[in-house]
Amino acid sequence: MKTIQEIQVEIVEEFAVFSDWMDKYEYLIELGKGMPVIDEKDKTEEHLISGCQSRVWLSCRKVEGRLYFAADSDAIITKGIISLLLKVYNGQKPEDILSADEGFIEQIGLKENLSPTRANGLVSMIETIKQYAASFSAPEPAAGKDLEADIVLALRQVYDPEIPVNVYDLGLIYDIQVDADGQVFIKMTLTAPNCPIADEVVMQVREAVADVPGVKDVQVDLVFEPEWTTDRMSEEAKLELGLL
Amino acid sequence: MDIREEFLALDQTVYGRPLVYFDNAATAQRPRTVLELQQRLSVEANANVHRAVHHLAAEATDHYEAGREAVRAFLHAPARENIILTSGTTASINLVAHCFTERFLRAGDRILVGEAEHHSNLVPWQMACQRHGATLEVLPVDENGEYSLAALESRFRAAEGRIKLVAIAHISNVLGIVNPVKEIVQVAHRYDVPVLLDGAQGIVHEPVDVQALDCDFYVFSGHKIYAPTGIGVLYGKKEWLEAMPPYMGGGEMIESVSFEKTTYAPLPLKFEAGTPNFLAAACMVPALEMARMMAESAELQQAQCEMRDFLLEELDRVEGLRIYGLPHERSRKIPLISFSVEGAFAGDIAQILDKMGFALRSGHLCAEPLLRRFGQTSVLRASLAPYNTLAECESFMAALRRAINMLR
Ligand SMILES: Cc1ncc(COP(=O)(O)O)c(C=O)c1O
Repeated sequence: MKTIQEIQVEIVEEFAVFSDWMDKYEYLIELGKGMPVIDEKDKTEEHLISGCQSRVWLSCRKVEGRLYFAADSDAIITKGIISLLLKVYNGQKPEDILSADEGFIEQIGLKENLSPTRANGLVSMIETIKQYAASFSAPEPAAGKDLEADIVLALRQVYDPEIPVNVYDLGLIYDIQVDADGQVFIKMTLTAPNCPIADEVVMQVREAVADVPGVKDVQVDLVFEPEWTTDRMSEEAKLELGLL
Repeated sequence: MDIREEFLALDQTVYGRPLVYFDNAATAQRPRTVLELQQRLSVEANANVHRAVHHLAAEATDHYEAGREAVRAFLHAPARENIILTSGTTASINLVAHCFTERFLRAGDRILVGEAEHHSNLVPWQMACQRHGATLEVLPVDENGEYSLAALESRFRAAEGRIKLVAIAHISNVLGIVNPVKEIVQVAHRYDVPVLLDGAQGIVHEPVDVQALDCDFYVFSGHKIYAPTGIGVLYGKKEWLEAMPPYMGGGEMIESVSFEKTTYAPLPLKFEAGTPNFLAAACMVPALEMARMMAESAELQQAQCEMRDFLLEELDRVEGLRIYGLPHERSRKIPLISFSVEGAFAGDIAQILDKMGFALRSGHLCAEPLLRRFGQTSVLRASLAPYNTLAECESFMAALRRAINMLR
């Protein structure tokens, strides 16, 4: 994993080849277009950062001590700049994000985009990133242990009754989001859409996670899109089932 | 005379490109005469108005009152007492929204506003309604952005006397359509309801005779009509201004003060507490003179229509471009055009155009409810003044196409 500083230097070098604003903007537009689309479901009021000119959505989750952001904007140039910011901050530790600055934006000549008068939501977005980092770097209730890791451990105790592999290693868990105040959102699937014991598995997952110290509330979303395939299983699980 | 030479701001480059200023509806540029007067008075007549007997103070007061007189004449208002000088349209509307409602709005009453209002002609009424337990009613525009007089009439009938005031724009800052304000006033008066016209855009593009319009209030800002910022106008019929309680208390608005009782100054000073922006007020003289001259120039007026027609036609050719505010009669459309482009976000287009030297407005244009009605959160607006040229319109279209290509 590269450090925030290293990634910033890379971006500055990348931009050094552009001689005029037109090339820069074209590149930003390309970056904006290439950014993974954020789930429409995540474009909620809660994640909305409003500017007068454009809107920005930002969500954050912590996985194994590092922060991952997903973001979107209705303005593509803004989105391009967001993609640079996420490139720098995604996968970094909260404390490193907190102490970093966004000086590279000025170095690549896009400073005006960070001026509050642009009202494009970028300034508030950076503030929000820092707020997430601050709240996630606060010592955690479970005696310094990583809540997410504990949740994974708990999920490994839940089995699909028909298969001798736990739901986590089977790859049924699509997403785990833990927010700063102990709210957990789990997105999961089942091996087949018309599984007769669906309710039971979902209930077991919810109970197992709810029992983890530090978890306040659990919400489980059962989805069948994308469809589960054996490719999603961990190596161990494949070995266990003799697929390797 | 080359009109462009009078407006020094036009002759400059931004990012090394010649400036094309298409954001006149937000703030217009000022002519040399205004700049010169402002500078001269800053030296020769910088003293407080209406207070001292010394020479500079008398000069300042004379210039301030000359500004008021210029406004009175421009609006064809009957008397000096009808003209309250404020800091801008927003301040004028807030004054009425506060003082009029204080006296005339009761719980259960209603205020009727247009759907196409600037937030400045919406939020103050909303606040007043909240204070008095009244409700805000909205008169909708149709797909083209036009109001229906029949719909207005039925609003009054249904409200059975509960509508206490109508607040509506002479010309909306998004749609650029001249509303049938004279007819609106006639209908409202048939139901004994006074009308406030937000003339922030109207004053710039239409000859205004408040007595012929018979409106009860007319408000506008200096900075959109070639004067400096910080000066605005509230025209009001005397009967209303007399009946309304004062707004802010302070110096200037009093007749005599004791700890037990204060009597208020007569109109117009009753509503002008504190030291006003007398320099900006004085500049209304050359600013309105410039406005009058440009309005009377057949050549400039003709050129404005040509620019409007050119832009309407050329914009219409751009695939996926939608214009907001297309009245049945084209003559009701001013050279102010708001639009959105499918697949290219307004803010992005504006940002690219900016780099090419074009100053346009993008965003919700301070009219979120109207944009929502058209399913948008952000649009682009080109608003022209008589000093803009067809050549600028042509280069604008080329730049716009280029920006859209970059974004799509
Ligand atoms: C129609 C309309 N009303 C009100 C305003 C507010 O004017 P000001 O900001 O000068 O008070 C504007 C200007 O943006 C406007 O266009």
